Amino acid sequence: MSEANASPIGRSHQLLMKRTLLHIAVASILMAVSLAPVHAQDKGGAKWTPPRTPDGHPDMQGMWARRGAAMQEANAPKTPLSEFGATGQPYPTVFNTGVSTPQAAALASRPTGIIEPANRVLPWRPEADAARREFLSHMIPPASLKYVEASARCVPPGLLGGDDRHPYQIVQRPGSFVLMYEYNHVTRVIYTDGRPHVGPNIRLYMGDSIGKWEGDTLVVDTTNFNDKTSFSQTIPYHSDVLHTVERFTMIDPYVIDYQLTIEDPKMFTAPIRIAGSFAAAAKGSELMEFACAEGSQTLANIFGFGLIPEQ
Amino acid sequence: MICLMSKRFVGTFAFCTFLLALPAWAQAPARGIPRASDGKPDLNGIWQVLNTAAWDLEDHTGSLRVPPGQGVIEGGEIPYQPAALAKKRENFQRRETNDPAETACYMPGVPRATYMPFPFEIIQNPRLITMSYEFGHTRRSIFTDGTKHPEGFPDFWMGDSRGRWEGDTLVVDVTNLDERTWLDHAGNHHSDALHVVERYTMTEPDHILYEATIEDPKVFTRTWKISMPLYRRLEKNVKILEYECVQYIQDQKFGNAKPLGAK
Repeated sequence: MSEANASPIGRSHQLLMKRTLLHIAVASILMAVSLAPVHAQDKGGAKWTPPRTPDGHPDMQGMWARRGAAMQEANAPKTPLSEFGATGQPYPTVFNTGVSTPQAAALASRPTGIIEPANRVLPWRPEADAARREFLSHMIPPASLKYVEASARCVPPGLLGGDDRHPYQIVQRPGSFVLMYEYNHVTRVIYTDGRPHVGPNIRLYMGDSIGKWEGDTLVVDTTNFNDKTSFSQTIPYHSDVLHTVERFTMIDPYVIDYQLTIEDPKMFTAPIRIAGSFAAAAKGSELMEFACAEGSQTLANIFGFGLIPEQ
Repeated sequence: MICLMSKRFVGTFAFCTFLLALPAWAQAPARGIPRASDGKPDLNGIWQVLNTAAWDLEDHTGSLRVPPGQGVIEGGEIPYQPAALAKKRENFQRRETNDPAETACYMPGVPRATYMPFPFEIIQNPRLITMSYEFGHTRRSIFTDGTKHPEGFPDFWMGDSRGRWEGDTLVVDVTNLDERTWLDHAGNHHSDALHVVERYTMTEPDHILYEATIEDPKVFTRTWKISMPLYRRLEKNVKILEYECVQYIQDQKFGNAKPLGAK
């Protein structure tokens, strides 16, 4: 992430820092004084069963911190953007949402990032790889609006452009599963009532998601993407034939196992599988307002004028 | 009552509902409305206004790209203090360039988010009621767990909302509202002292009566009130889509512009 996207948070920034510090304090206390409850894997294989919603599905409602679901390809091209990120001012770690997982070490050892292909060398179509390398070469300084990093333009994050710093909240209703991101205030209402996807001419930044329960796993199928969100700093876009399948499985009171399969046949010759976790956020977490366009000076700085006249 | 009696004559009923909706709702007990597991009215669903309040809360004549409309304010006009009225008139003159929601796609604030001409979804559970608005994927959460407004917080574009149930009415107290939002496209405005109390009363399964009192001692001479029905969107499989006006406006304003420092 570039330093450019530090600005969009705007006036919530200070508040966020306060809250996060509080979370860390709370999490530290919890971890210091509490040895229980014990991680499921420590119980000698006793199968943990999740709490249930009234309609019988695993109850995943609450505040969560995402960990590890990212597209970190091997042999990623060097870009001015990544150098900027490495030598610039990355977010201080205090911005990470605190995690209440008693077994932070267990969380750290969970699979993260690209798990297929195992060597993390992505199955690029040569022409697609060449096109994105060409695109990357125009990003700093940006040659035009479309080369400005997506997060700095307040583009909705897609499924991978969100981040691990801001918390997520899950609310479940009969017939739908709601995943709310603090980041860029995205709300995904995933209907599980058997409805089909919206028509093919509707294209969406966050895609159109429909879900179904396979046992205790929520399986989310998403299509209808546009080609305007990014996968990572070195994969600044995907195509509009992107099709994703996400699997949410609660494995203990503190962890939802998250699996994401990506198919984008215009970009890649084979599916890519990514793993990550949603870890229970520190007690007392709540979603704050993340204003992006409202507070951002990024585009005004790049172009020399803003969206609205000074009043 | 005449209208209730003629329920089976669907056309007549619809006509009567249309004519008498507001006065009837104010008195009618909420019968047969859906209820959540905690017994409260179940507001879950997708809702939308069918009026012109987003363009102008007051009575107004039609003009280019502005549909005409009867005002939604009790008493007809907004009770501005003199200086604030002058500011409103200045805003009106500059509305095509300075309306934060229309020209920059900033979050519309409360109550304007409710009556933007876009649907919004209510996601309700006993402790938290979230409103997810299609316009700019704006969202706000209303805490109904008995907590109070936090002390010492900054202002938010969508404010800080704490709710409680008074009988079958959801009452939402909204503070910490950013002074930069407008109340409509006609330049009606407020200060950082704005305090909004909203009331959501489900009068029938597919209708909510929405009322909001608006208090701002820096701008108005007294508290004033708006009210309007919210209609449930009944189309099969209807869902909130995306109106990403930040992106559309960026394309319009910067799409052909050359960045400073570009080669």
